Amino acid sequence: MNLPEELRYSAEHEWVAVDGVRARIGITDFAQDQLGDVVYVELPSVGANVLAHASCAEVESTKSVSEIYSPVSGTVVEVNDTLGDAPEQVNGDPYGAGWIFVVEMADPSEVGALLDAAAYRALVEA
Amino acid sequence: MTGAWLLVDGLEHPPDAAAQMAADLAMLDAVAAGGAPVLRLYCWDPPALSLGRFQPDDDVDHAACAARGVDVVRRPTGGRALLHGADVTYSVAFPQPSGDAGRVDALYEWLAGGLIAGLALLGVEAAIARNDGPAGPVCFAGQQGADLRVGERKLCGSAQVRRDGAVLQHGAVLLHRLPFDELDLVHDRPGDPPVEEARAHLRHATVTLEELGAPTEPRVVAEALVEGFASALDLQFTSRVGSPGG
Repeated sequence: MNLPEELRYSAEHEWVAVDGVRARIGITDFAQDQLGDVVYVELPSVGANVLAHASCAEVESTKSVSEIYSPVSGTVVEVNDTLGDAPEQVNGDPYGAGWIFVVEMADPSEVGALLDAAAYRALVEA
Repeated sequence: MTGAWLLVDGLEHPPDAAAQMAADLAMLDAVAAGGAPVLRLYCWDPPALSLGRFQPDDDVDHAACAARGVDVVRRPTGGRALLHGADVTYSVAFPQPSGDAGRVDALYEWLAGGLIAGLALLGVEAAIARNDGPAGPVCFAGQQGADLRVGERKLCGSAQVRRDGAVLQHGAVLLHRLPFDELDLVHDRPGDPPVEEARAHLRHATVTLEELGAPTEPRVVAEALVEGFASALDLQFTSRVGSPGG
């Protein structure tokens, strides 16, 4: 299981890459493996306000629909439109081309409550 | 996931299609809130075309559905259009297991064990389907690991939704055929084969309990499925409650 050290993770299986007040978000390698082949991603709207640990997007794989939760609160400022034509990027490159959305954080201190790679690994291997 | 489950008998006096989907979602929410796992079995009257969560609405020929008295409803689960009205539908809601047991494909396989055991009680030898068949608007035209086949023909199609730590899976076991099928109710897409060719494929790709010479009485089928889930998955149905709202 690939868990980059520089990222933070949520218990709902999202990753966060922090750049100032912006948080780039996707689902973890563990999550994409659990889902199987992703065939559709319902992206949040740019401008939408999201709350930490609340659902804001959905993904379909093998006739199974799963919710995606924002790990932090704020405003969606960017979404990965390339997933419309190539949702399989979520499987093939979950921490790169498979990113899903970017949130401008309302309270960057929320990142401190997220898991580091070791803690997330312990969670999913428990 | 073994242990005490609720059993909901929804075979008699089914509510409309929207209420059926609301009842399934209520099961999911109840389990997410800490309630007991549930198995519900139900029928559909009038017939209904259920669409997958993200299926384009313009796949549906609403005028054709209205002309045939077919409700149209959107499922919370994935997949494509499925015509109900000559099927028994099962739905289960339970906490999502952790680790590999919680994988989408693992849960389809786990529940398939119960369905296969139940169908065996009806004299039907079913197996988990292989990924096969065309992409398109009709669920039963293709097969995935979520589905069950007899020989090469699909008998049961299933789909899932997962949220807040709980899983809802539902699926339809075909009893017999209605006088029309999904192809009478969806629009052709550019590049689709001629409708009669598509209908021939759909007929060949699917099979009903009636065509297999198995019982088709909904209650007989439902009781076999309950017994299959109980025995194969080691579940005890400790409570029998009426259908939602009834």
